[in-house]
Amino acid sequence: MAPPRLSKKRKDVAESDESDDGLAGTALEGVLSDDEDNDSGSESDPNSDDFNDPDDDDVGNDFDATSISSADDDESKPNYKVVKDANGNERYEYAEIDPVYDSDDSDANEKGNTIGNIPLSFYDSYPHIGYDINGKKIMRPATGDALDALLETIEIPKGWTGLTDPQTGKPLELTREQLELLRRLQTSQIPEENYDPYPDLIPYFTSIEEKMPLSSAPEPKRRFLPSKHEAKRVAKLVRAIKEGRILPYKPPEEREREKGEEEEVHYDIWANEEAQERHIMNIPAPKLAPPGYDLSYNPPPEYLPTQEEKEAWEKMDPEEREKEYLPAKFDALRKVPGYGEFVKERFERSLDLYLAPRVRKNRLNIDPNSLLPKLPSPEELKPFPTVCQAIFKGHEGRVRTVSFSPDGEWIASGGDDGTVRVWSLNGHQEWVARISTEEPVQVVRWRPNKDTFILAAVAGEDIFFAVPPLVSGALEKASRDVIDLGFGHATNGAVPTTADGAKKEPPAKWSRPGSKLEAAGVLLKATVRSAIKTLSWHRRGDFLCTVSPTGQRSSVAVHTLSKHLSQIPFRRLPGLAQAAHFHPSRPYFFVATQRMIRCYDLQRQELVKILQPGARWISGFDVHPGGDNLIVGSYDRRLLWHDLDLSTRPYKTMRFHTEAVRAVRYHRALPLFADASDDGSLQIFHGKVVSDLMENATIVPVKMLRGHKIVSKLGVLDVDWHPRHPWCISAGADGTCRLWA
Amino acid sequence: MPRIKKKGQAGAAKNYVTRNQAIRKLQITLPDFRKLCIWKGIYPREPRSKKKVSKSSTNSTTFYYAKDIQYLLHEPLLLKFRDQKSLEKKISKALGRGDVTDAARLESNAARPEKTGKPRYTLDHVIRERYPTFIDALRDLDDCLSMLFLFANLPSTSSVPAKMIARCERLTLEFQHYLIASHSLTKSFLSIKGIYYQANIKGEDVLWLVPYKFNQRIVGDIDFRIMGTFVEFYMTLLSFVNFRLYTSLGLKYPPKFDQLKDENAAELGAFTLEGMTLVNDEPQKQIEDHKPDPKVQAAVNKVLKQIDSKAANGDGAGDAVEVEGEESNDTIDKFEPAAPGGDILPQPSNLGGSQGSLFSNCTFYLSRETPRQPLEFILKAFGCKRVGWDAVLGDGAFTTNELDPAITHQIVDRPPVQNAVEAETEGDDNQTSQKLGANNRVPGRVYLQPQWVWDSVNDGELKEPHLYAPGTSLPPHLSPFVKAMPGAYDPTMPLEEQEPEREALEAEDDDEEVTAEGMDIAEDDDAEDDDAENDDFEGVSEDEEEEVDGSDDDAERQRELEAELAGSSVKSKSISKKAKAKEDKLKALSKKSREDAEELERAKGMLSKKKRKLYEQMIYTNTKKNAADEKLRAKRRRLEKEGKRAKA
Repeated sequence: MAPPRLSKKRKDVAESDESDDGLAGTALEGVLSDDEDNDSGSESDPNSDDFNDPDDDDVGNDFDATSISSADDDESKPNYKVVKDANGNERYEYAEIDPVYDSDDSDANEKGNTIGNIPLSFYDSYPHIGYDINGKKIMRPATGDALDALLETIEIPKGWTGLTDPQTGKPLELTREQLELLRRLQTSQIPEENYDPYPDLIPYFTSIEEKMPLSSAPEPKRRFLPSKHEAKRVAKLVRAIKEGRILPYKPPEEREREKGEEEEVHYDIWANEEAQERHIMNIPAPKLAPPGYDLSYNPPPEYLPTQEEKEAWEKMDPEEREKEYLPAKFDALRKVPGYGEFVKERFERSLDLYLAPRVRKNRLNIDPNSLLPKLPSPEELKPFPTVCQAIFKGHEGRVRTVSFSPDGEWIASGGDDGTVRVWSLNGHQEWVARISTEEPVQVVRWRPNKDTFILAAVAGEDIFFAVPPLVSGALEKASRDVIDLGFGHATNGAVPTTADGAKKEPPAKWSRPGSKLEAAGVLLKATVRSAIKTLSWHRRGDFLCTVSPTGQRSSVAVHTLSKHLSQIPFRRLPGLAQAAHFHPSRPYFFVATQRMIRCYDLQRQELVKILQPGARWISGFDVHPGGDNLIVGSYDRRLLWHDLDLSTRPYKTMRFHTEAVRAVRYHRALPLFADASDDGSLQIFHGKVVSDLMENATIVPVKMLRGHKIVSKLGVLDVDWHPRHPWCISAGADGTCRLWA
Repeated sequence: MPRIKKKGQAGAAKNYVTRNQAIRKLQITLPDFRKLCIWKGIYPREPRSKKKVSKSSTNSTTFYYAKDIQYLLHEPLLLKFRDQKSLEKKISKALGRGDVTDAARLESNAARPEKTGKPRYTLDHVIRERYPTFIDALRDLDDCLSMLFLFANLPSTSSVPAKMIARCERLTLEFQHYLIASHSLTKSFLSIKGIYYQANIKGEDVLWLVPYKFNQRIVGDIDFRIMGTFVEFYMTLLSFVNFRLYTSLGLKYPPKFDQLKDENAAELGAFTLEGMTLVNDEPQKQIEDHKPDPKVQAAVNKVLKQIDSKAANGDGAGDAVEVEGEESNDTIDKFEPAAPGGDILPQPSNLGGSQGSLFSNCTFYLSRETPRQPLEFILKAFGCKRVGWDAVLGDGAFTTNELDPAITHQIVDRPPVQNAVEAETEGDDNQTSQKLGANNRVPGRVYLQPQWVWDSVNDGELKEPHLYAPGTSLPPHLSPFVKAMPGAYDPTMPLEEQEPEREALEAEDDDEEVTAEGMDIAEDDDAEDDDAENDDFEGVSEDEEEEVDGSDDDAERQRELEAELAGSSVKSKSISKKAKAKEDKLKALSKKSREDAEELERAKGMLSKKKRKLYEQMIYTNTKKNAADEKLRAKRRRLEKEGKRAKA
């Protein structure tokens, strides 16, 4: 606290001393302190001041005390006066603030001009040059007259600079020291003249080694043995340098250049080549096809596309185009443009090389005709029917069925009009009987014995047996006898009963058909439970079987003509029965369901074989007269030949028809068979079966017979062969029968 | 009871893996897997039953062989890929820290072939694995060459570094130098896509395509990373192949490369082949791996002697150099089968011998507008030692002086200007002027269009120059790669030799229609009616037809006679005998085809389903081919007719 107080006191003193002097206080103070220093350095009795100091302090203390008390007084009474202003209001007039040392306004110049940073020239027209801190005008100092100015120019006063102090408006004068200071600052030297920026180093510790050690500890080993650890590290570095892992430093661009320059090594990679067998699954990439003629820049003119072809090509999607380019002709090589798709094609090729799965495809480079079987010429296989010999017209609506009589003289037919007709071979209708009014005649079949002349016909649920009055009396008599033979049995026959003793309904009722029909020659009627679809005679003519697909349990029935007896051989059948036939020589019975043909032994009452033709829906089948082969027609347009000894699967499958196969039939004597289809055609085959077991049957298609018209999607509905001659008769949906010879 | 087998534990399911499974097993990314597959030549397979193979319910599209993938597991390149991956991670980590200098240091270690064109790994072992023998490598060279020749012509972009392009260019030029030195180029073809070349190297035919020197248009989304991977592999392959080929000729590889000349677009001229055997050309033929049999060798020597003497003659005679093909074919025996039935073996060919010296005593000058690079290459490959060209076409020419008296052939590709009269007068004092006028000709040399070179090369003889003179319309340029198939259309043969009988007859019919208009219309109609009747033979008029078919031969003849009689009675006055005969022929043909069709129908029904399908497929493709051929024939017939009419 002492020095500020001191200075304050001194200031006070100075103020009191030189209050009306124009010099700045600070400069004074510096001068004063300088003086003091000088005093302390030069004066002979420096202690006098020291001695004075405590006194001063005391005095100061006193002063302080008084000042404090005065301050206390000040607090009690206000430090302002109340005066009246021009308007008569109260106005507080404060006493002038004495900026003591510890006031905020430390660097305020008491006598400074307060106009701030504006040019002095603004005041040129005024007698004053600004205002001091108290708002008093600072009057312009009197300028000398011209003579004074002249004198001033002649003798330059000491410290003259030619500048005007903006603060005071007086000429600015600078001392020599000040000028020197400015010069040093301008030349960026240290302002203080005697400052030494690089003093000599004063060593604090001596660098001279002492003769005697300060410590008596023995010298450690590491001082005189080389470091193992360092040796290791050095060895590591040496190794790295030797191996080229550490390279001497080079600027990066130089290193880059060297790297570019270093050549790849060339050597013969196949120096010791040995051929390796490729893995069997390895498929080498296929090569691209070599260019053809149309790729030429100057192709033969026929390879150039026409206008339409060009347009079609351009219209097509690029993916779908057969060729990715259009042949073009240029009359000079210089006119050939660059190929736009080149990069794309290369890219696609590389995609193919690594993305496309490779599959080995066996390309058969053979003549397709070598695949076709060598068939014997039809000329060698004659005779077979080739032309339509006669057309039998008379039926109204479809003709559903036809049959050759056993002697081959007569043809029976039945159709949608409910009539059974018998024709002679020349196309003349000989006999007609309407056996049903609403139901169509489904089947007509002659009894296969030559000693009788009996025709079985089916309409709805009824089987009719007729003896057309066309033959000699003896034959007719024999036929009537055969039919009538069973009446005795029917009356005498024991009626089967069920387990609970109730009378069981017989499978069929045998009766006379009525006098009208009897007069026409229809002599017997048997009525089964449901509508019959097919009928087939046993070769002896005593048994016949009927199939009624809707008949559930009783769908297949076997009838005995001599006893007027009907039996149902199967308790139940898997699937819907479609057709049934007797074996031509052995006591076997074939039943076709939709998918399979079952062969039963009638004597032993057991299933012998199941044939699987593979057809979706069997339409009909026929047994070869030899008994070992079978042909099956199916609604899915196939004709299948089964060899019973060979397999349960078909031996041959033939597809010649575009529509369903309706009927199939073997010739009884000749190696021929035929099928009838909904596409209005009949296909005649030569099918030779040899007795040798080692040899398979030869089947050759020989003729396609066309002629029947297709009526409401139905073509030929039935076919039958002449017993001896290579003639066949077909029943068409167009209401005609045709005899082919 | 045996243990129940689980699905996917045995059989086909074990043999195949999907792509994703493979990637997971190898622990690499998809792009790396792609690279590996490209380099190692691993491709997807098509399993016989996809359902059996796929373990998941979704149907995956690509399957690889499990064995293939297992084999990839031991690939040293996999390690490199992993190193690369970890380095990338380090760099990204450093960048994440903001430590740029560290990242830069790591970056400088990274192998970035796409930037520097130089990977840190080599594909040498892959080459050796994929091609155990040199011949294997040659067999697979087609794609390699096509790709590298394309890349040699590409501009450098960010994805295709300039260094890669430079290397491709160098390798391809080195390969061309081998072909020139060994005379193994056999054929070449100017197509609209580019120029096809075929070379026979060590008995292997290599075919590749070089684009024309234009800026390549890059269309669609083309991934240059994939192409780059291929190119990287192919570059390694071709450098090894080049080395082997050069050393087999006794040449040093790599050949000396003159940077300055290359900068002046010398291309082929920038390389100088060095080797002990280059001083004389002949001995290098003996170095080749397969020794020619002594007989052929003797023949070749004889031919060579001939050529030498001829060349000497040519030098003596000065400018009058005869232009003709060497006839040396008589020295090689032709093996023709004496009896039919034996297999046809490839005939000994006289390639190598005269082929390589086709242009050996010609001096060529290429005009400014001709494509210099392919011409220079093909001429040199066929024995021409002196090819000069205009100075604007680049460095390395034998001469750039168009008036050099040594020049025997000049290739020009510009139309002649119509003041040819002055050319003669100016031709005399052309010794003084360096450049010739637009239409001036130097006497004593043959002016030809570029196609002459290609046609000569493909036919193995110098073609008639007058066909290829400047300004004339050129004969068609035919592909030498098409092998004549029996029955296929061949533009080189006259039309009459290759059209089937029926077509010829119909064509003649048309001809007559043209020649004798008006009169023949009735007859033609009649014929058509007949045809129509024949066509719907299976229709309404069934009965009569059946009768005809069924009846005996004499009946048939009878009917024909009747028809003939009827025909003659109708048009007895106008129709000549010739026309009648033709009509008969046509009728007979149609009848025969009808019978054939019936026979075919019979036979087809007896086929099993499998065979029938196969047969139908074959018939389908055959008819398609035949239809295309027929179209070509029809077009040619029309064009010929038009030509004839224009002449008349």
